[in-house]
Amino acid sequence: MKSVNQEAIEHDPQQLHEDLHTIWGNPKGLRSLTIVNHTTLGLRFMVTGMVFFLIGGILAMLVRTQLAMPDQNFMSPDIYNQVTTMHGTVMMFLFAIPMLEGLAIYLIPKMIGARDLVCPRLTSLGYFCYLFGGIILTSSLIIEMAPSSGWFMYTPLSSKEFAPDLGSDFWLLGITFVEISAVSAGVELVVSILRTRTQGMALHKMPLFAWYILAMALMIVVGFPPLILGSVLLELERAVGMPFFQIAGGGDPILWQHLFWLFGHPEVYIIFLPAAGIVSTLIPVFAGRPIVGYGWVVAAIAIMGFISFGLWVHHMFTVGIPQLAQAFFSAASMLVAVPTAIQVFVWLATLWLGKPKMKLPMLWVMGFLIIFVCGGLTGVMLALVPFNWQVHDTHFVVAHMHYVLVGGMFFPLIAGLYYWLPLFSGRMPSESLGRWGFWLTFLGFNGTFLIMHWTGLLGMPRRVYTYEAGSGWEIYNLLSSVSSFVLSAGIAMVLLDIALHFRFGKPAKQNPWNADTLEWANSMPPSAYNFVSLPTVETRHPLWDDPNLPHTMAKGMHGLAVASHGRREMWGTDPITGKVREIIHLPGNSWWPLFAAAALAVVCISLLTRVYALAGIFVVIAGVFLLRWSWENGAHPNAAPDAGVKPGDPPLHSRTMDGPGLWAMAVFLIANGSFFLSYLFGWFYLWTVSPEWQMPDTPPLSLLITGIAGGAVLAGCVVVEKLVRGLRQQRDAGLRASLYLAAALGALQVGLAGWALWRADLSPTQTTHDAVMLVGLVYALFHGGLAVILTVLQGMRVGYGYVGAHAPFEPAVVALLWRYNVVTFWLLVGALAILPRVIGG
Amino acid sequence: MVRLHFTHPIHLIIGLTLWSLWFVAVYSGLSVACAVAPPSPEAGALTGLNAALGGVSLITAVGLVALAWGSCQVAKQHQGRQRFHATVSAWLYLFSAFGVVFAGMPIISVPPCL
Repeated sequence: MKSVNQEAIEHDPQQLHEDLHTIWGNPKGLRSLTIVNHTTLGLRFMVTGMVFFLIGGILAMLVRTQLAMPDQNFMSPDIYNQVTTMHGTVMMFLFAIPMLEGLAIYLIPKMIGARDLVCPRLTSLGYFCYLFGGIILTSSLIIEMAPSSGWFMYTPLSSKEFAPDLGSDFWLLGITFVEISAVSAGVELVVSILRTRTQGMALHKMPLFAWYILAMALMIVVGFPPLILGSVLLELERAVGMPFFQIAGGGDPILWQHLFWLFGHPEVYIIFLPAAGIVSTLIPVFAGRPIVGYGWVVAAIAIMGFISFGLWVHHMFTVGIPQLAQAFFSAASMLVAVPTAIQVFVWLATLWLGKPKMKLPMLWVMGFLIIFVCGGLTGVMLALVPFNWQVHDTHFVVAHMHYVLVGGMFFPLIAGLYYWLPLFSGRMPSESLGRWGFWLTFLGFNGTFLIMHWTGLLGMPRRVYTYEAGSGWEIYNLLSSVSSFVLSAGIAMVLLDIALHFRFGKPAKQNPWNADTLEWANSMPPSAYNFVSLPTVETRHPLWDDPNLPHTMAKGMHGLAVASHGRREMWGTDPITGKVREIIHLPGNSWWPLFAAAALAVVCISLLTRVYALAGIFVVIAGVFLLRWSWENGAHPNAAPDAGVKPGDPPLHSRTMDGPGLWAMAVFLIANGSFFLSYLFGWFYLWTVSPEWQMPDTPPLSLLITGIAGGAVLAGCVVVEKLVRGLRQQRDAGLRASLYLAAALGALQVGLAGWALWRADLSPTQTTHDAVMLVGLVYALFHGGLAVILTVLQGMRVGYGYVGAHAPFEPAVVALLWRYNVVTFWLLVGALAILPRVIGG
Repeated sequence: MVRLHFTHPIHLIIGLTLWSLWFVAVYSGLSVACAVAPPSPEAGALTGLNAALGGVSLITAVGLVALAWGSCQVAKQHQGRQRFHATVSAWLYLFSAFGVVFAGMPIISVPPCL
């Protein structure tokens, strides 16, 4: 392969380091809040995740204390419900996902030979949304107003009628806020893995961990929006009385279950996949040989990513759906065991054929294998409908879930933390303290949850705050509770080991485990820019094949070993071949992500306290911050006003038609499309299934007005597409006028759609039909308005000289939104205005 | 990309996407049919609905097997990256076909709307 900028020139490494540090270095003090660097933010995600883990763990201990003996009133029923709900919520939403995303944010650029993630400011926004959302949600515990309807918030238990206080609102608003973070990280991980791998790292050569994270990130992008939609609808029902989940108005509480589990089941695999990625990374290193069946693992990852979306109804086997439908989901639930088994056999074969060293991380991997296989087997049992009916809502399900989640996520996570600890800190953990921690955790975990299977089989339901003496469950509960304290002691020991190692751990040598992947080519702890120079990598095991690589990289003997331009730069490569296509320049530290997240936090709190005017004002303020942030891009003086590159190097991405922003927009639109399809699912589901659904005799939406609006958005899209085609051919004559023309057509669409809405005279608090229709039209109005604003801003940027034939990239990004708007608007017209006229009620 | 050659990595997801579309089609088709025009329970599994669902499943499975065979043939003609993509795509097409058959088998024996 012809490589770019690869002449083996020895630079002055110290000078290069200092120059790069000047560009990439983190500020101190208050300005550290502006940091956008992936290493720092990945660590912040993980540390914050561990704090929430401790909170969730304390809640778990409260639960076990309450259940240790019969007839206890250590907690009142309401407090118990709050504690169990928050335990599940905190562990799933505030610990598991952000922790694993934090690890991925930290590791992915280092593993694929990049200097940062592709959208650093988005990383920062994601972190602050997570932090603020988590604080808002957990603050409900302090004021004893936490959600209490279970971590899946089933309606009508979580509806206004049965949960009149603010608990459900805390959950719905807080979780939605946190999900902004998850989706943001998902989008940029996808784009980073596809577009910023180092030169030569073709798709089939990238580390397996990157495959796992790619699948996880895509699953987040597709899987989280259904829950975001469900949360929006339920909050609208609770706040203003739109009856989405109430039978009387034409809604259906089962719709919530569908939307929740459309997210909830893939969520289990979203958590499992990165953990399995850790295992697939560690086992070859400690076995001292490449993994057996790289291709099989890739296939298994893809299968899991898809099949896990076809299982959601197995959480709903008792709600009364047809047996044949249950059989489909039962079969799909068994089917997902196949890719899991492929991976387990690959891991075992690798260990069998290698010479495993049972170092501390491997102990946790072995614990994972035992526990997760057991959890998988009870999962196959639960996939069988008759058995599922028998144990539904018993402690058997609780035990299974913890075997899968703790075995499948927590054990590999600790294995990974021990493995990468020397990278984080430059020091080694204590083997003896670590082994004590492992054994206490392993024995305590099995003592707690293995026994809980029997408690469940004996009929103890979950989510009961106490039970009577003589029920036969006493001894099992006592053993579970005692074991849970052993488990806590083990985890405390692990945390103690990690805390102590920063001070007392032995200094680690370079690549202390003799690993094969690029992250170990970093200094320990890593610098802000990761690598002085970016290597060409055409093997799956770069450090095994060239042990000297860290040295030559640090001496600046590979690509992009230049800092004189003052830009943060890394390669933009072809997603399939890894061939260099452009130089991606990244933004520096910024206040805008913090400001935008803070404004969104005020929106969240205002909605909680029902101060809607304030919420409206801060929505606008957040929008202004985000648009101001987007202004500092491309040829802006704060971004890359000078397009100069070294001779032989490719152009800057903002001077091409295919930068990472285009990919980020495309992936974001996939998430948006998932939200929209979930909405259409809700519309058709209620129309078909809800017993009290009322379709008006005369469809309220004017076909003529919405049709003209659809024509306007289509015309606007054509104008934008035409000007993008011109830019592709280096023509920018009339660019500004074309952009303003498109914006005017967009404004016409918004105006007409708004008029159609006004004329429809909907009663959204009276009928579900009108409520669902209103949500759909507001969605279209929002997107239409967004396209208008972005297009006007593009016109202004042409005026400032930031966009044009010399910097043609940005209109292509906005064009994607126009295409999306055309498709979704016409689908809405079809679903809301045309089909009701064709089919009727 | 002129056409979706079997060595293109997009094939890594086409088979499973087809499986997903099949799954959504049979589940939603069943649900709508049972809500709008449920067949008589006395008919057992011998209904037009079962036949339609079975027909869709059969066509999907045969199509996926054909794609698996095509990928497999192309894989033999290449080396390196292209062989990797085509081979893994073939496995995934084959698994998707198996998934259709396995998850669709209850159509043969289970009454649709009970």
